[in-house]
Amino acid sequence: MLPEPFTSEYLSQLETLRLRTRKEFLGSQTGSYSSPRRGTSLEFADYRRYSPGDDLRYLDWGIYARTDRLYVKLFREEVDLFAYIFVDASASMAFPSPREKFLPASHIAASLAYVVLANHDHVKLHLLGNSNHAPSPFYRGRRRITDCIHFMTSANPEGPLELAPALAEYLRMLRRPGKAILISDFLMPPSSYQQGLNLLRGFNLDIAVIQVLTRQEVDPPFPNGGLRLVDSETNAEIGFQWDAAAQQDYKSRLAQHNSEIRSFCHQSGIHYSLYVTDRELDDFVFATLPAIGLFK
Amino acid sequence: MEFLNPTALYGFLALPLLLIPYLIRRKPQRVIFSSLLLFSVPEKRAGGRPWGRLRLPPIFFLQLLLLTLVIAALAEPVFSVRTSRIAIVFDNSASMQALFGQQTRFALAQEKARGLLSDLGPAATADLYLTVPRLEKVRAASLGPVEAAGIVGTLTPYDLPDAPIDYQVVLSQMVREQKYDRVYLITDHPAVGQTDALRVLTVGQPRDNFAVSAFNISHSSLVGSRLEGTAEIANFSAKDERIKVVLRGGSAVLSSRDLVVEAGKTAAAIFSGLPNHPYYELEIDNRDGLPVDNRRFAVPPAGQNLRILGISPRPQALNSLRAIPGVSLDLIAPQEYDKADRSGYSLEIFHYSTPAVPPANPALFVLPPDNNPLAELAKPVSRPIVSSWREPHPITRYVNFALFRPAFSRPLKPRLSGEAIIESPSGPLALATERQGVRYLVLGFEIFPYLGRENLPVSVFTLNLLDWFFHGSGAERRATGAPLIFSAAPQESFLLTPRGDKIALDRGANSFPATYFQGLYQFQRGSHRELFAVNLDHKNESDLRQPTPIAIREASSAAVNVSALFSIWPYLLLISLVLLFVEWFVNPHPIRSAFGLRSPPAT
Repeated sequence: MLPEPFTSEYLSQLETLRLRTRKEFLGSQTGSYSSPRRGTSLEFADYRRYSPGDDLRYLDWGIYARTDRLYVKLFREEVDLFAYIFVDASASMAFPSPREKFLPASHIAASLAYVVLANHDHVKLHLLGNSNHAPSPFYRGRRRITDCIHFMTSANPEGPLELAPALAEYLRMLRRPGKAILISDFLMPPSSYQQGLNLLRGFNLDIAVIQVLTRQEVDPPFPNGGLRLVDSETNAEIGFQWDAAAQQDYKSRLAQHNSEIRSFCHQSGIHYSLYVTDRELDDFVFATLPAIGLFK
Repeated sequence: MEFLNPTALYGFLALPLLLIPYLIRRKPQRVIFSSLLLFSVPEKRAGGRPWGRLRLPPIFFLQLLLLTLVIAALAEPVFSVRTSRIAIVFDNSASMQALFGQQTRFALAQEKARGLLSDLGPAATADLYLTVPRLEKVRAASLGPVEAAGIVGTLTPYDLPDAPIDYQVVLSQMVREQKYDRVYLITDHPAVGQTDALRVLTVGQPRDNFAVSAFNISHSSLVGSRLEGTAEIANFSAKDERIKVVLRGGSAVLSSRDLVVEAGKTAAAIFSGLPNHPYYELEIDNRDGLPVDNRRFAVPPAGQNLRILGISPRPQALNSLRAIPGVSLDLIAPQEYDKADRSGYSLEIFHYSTPAVPPANPALFVLPPDNNPLAELAKPVSRPIVSSWREPHPITRYVNFALFRPAFSRPLKPRLSGEAIIESPSGPLALATERQGVRYLVLGFEIFPYLGRENLPVSVFTLNLLDWFFHGSGAERRATGAPLIFSAAPQESFLLTPRGDKIALDRGANSFPATYFQGLYQFQRGSHRELFAVNLDHKNESDLRQPTPIAIREASSAAVNVSALFSIWPYLLLISLVLLFVEWFVNPHPIRSAFGLRSPPAT
């Protein structure tokens, strides 16, 4: 029995989706994604001069009639997809509580994993944090969604996160390029997330980024007056005078920060979307993610 | 607008305390947040200061308004509907001459009275009263405000002590009987409580003061011609003070002393060998609160000799007094007493006789008849034994009572209060008493004739009592308010007051009661002149530190007409309650929020 919101109806809706990739990867088996290799799919790729031994079924007789030369048609090979889902499991994902931020992020990750699994492709889940979370094995097949959900829900977000080193640790073991989906709150300096995303780009991965924020982070409900703000990851403290002006200043800084992330992703060919956790999950998955081109 | 309880207005001084909760630097709440990345502006306040930047939220002004209204309501503000008939009672006792700044308290009282009168409508009437020497109207007829204001300027304080008046009763009675809308008492005494109809307006503030509390000029001895002055200086303050005392005779400075007077106590000074002057004046040079008690007057004894008027059916026995140096004696028969001119005598000796009324001069009664007003006489006792005597006492000094054996005696039973000087087993033999500053001595045994060395115990006793009368006559203290008593004046007589007024005395008048001012009063009859020194002799009036409060209770106003006032404090209280409700809804936990104790938000 799967937990909410993974109802049979929700899963059925997910089965209608397919991840879209903007790159061609070398798969391991026949699948539904384009490969740079020539193969036997129905999708025409190119012509080549006939050479003895070629299958006569692929001769283009029309060209022969016009040019009196023999050409054979080449087709693309369609292979399966390897998807890598990275979920931020640092302490900031537990603000204000794991249930309100990390769990929705986990649900997004599981939903995307199910989309991959439903298409008989491979998916691997990674938890990013200071703890040495072991990545999941590659899952394949719909029924492995229970393993995916169990893997995600068993995680406990804690500790600080350095994105680039955390990603590098996993990428060292990466053998097959594919689709990389990074789910995080991205409350880190631009240099930090840019290094991490550039690292993913360096591994020839087709990248999508989903930023997860809670409503409390978008609109902090602090009382007016003096505050001692404590960083959930580093436990650093600052004194801060919170009032309407400070609130407005925070909002503008957050908007600027998100705008920088979006701009970087756009320039780097990365899908980007923001999910505020008070929004319905199915609305985000079935409306927003297709709109940014994550699904076919 | 007036305030029935103006003391509550001091509460406004406490209003700035409301700022304290807003000045105290609140303990910052500790809030855990996902990341401080977007809070890059550090707090700029100094960490160690207990106070912070003053930020006044709107709720502060609501609280300020609320407290202001509550304090104003506690002060019981009333609007005065113009009153039609009022009475203004001036405390014109001596302490009202005390200075408050550059003005006397009485001048302040006059200003207050003019202010009250100016608030009256033209049709209103006002009565003016003075409290001393007795509470009475200044003018019999009621006055208009303008006329009353003019009369207020002519009023002056007297050098008299406070009259023993129960203002609560007397003023309430005035309100009831005279139908006053309001009675104002303007005094230097603080008031406890106010009512709508009885209002006490206090002028001046408590302050330190120094006073010449006693001053007397007398002969140093019965036979001596030298004069001696004794003075007493009182310090009504909380610290020891060095005070310079100057003694003048006439207008010449005779002597000066520096005295250290301890706080709250008195110091004495004795001036010996003074030359003869018509009068003497003692003054302290401290510029203190009350000038009138900084000087005091005295006159020397009437003459160098002890002038005695002897009234006796057997005058031969008294003739022996002529043998005493310094004694001059006139003898008359008892029936001639009423017609005799008794002025100028220091002592009257009634020998086997008594006057119809106690004499104005000091008097010695020797075996008076049974109908005398001073003492009853018991059955005669021969050769009485003296069982006890007052000691020390000027009369019993150096007397050997073991040898003191009069031939017979009649023990005395005093009709008036007095002290027994000599007692026998059968009763007192000598009684001393004093009435209105005049000394009387009643003897139940015979001391005449004066035998000198032949009967030393009785002779010493006789000289002692003459010396006692002699000093008593010189030390006569006349206080303001007490009448001046002089012998009947068949001729045209005048009295010159210290203020230079020349008052013609009625024929036959033997007293002058209106000694309202301190100073020298000069009695003139033909070529005969007599000086009287009258002084303010009331220590309570000189003590300006803690005047006795005047209690005005609400019950006394039950019968008065209160329609002259419109109270607005209930409305202020109502508005305060409304504001309290508003604040309750705007800021349900004012104390918690004021000190930063609000529950932290979810983290």
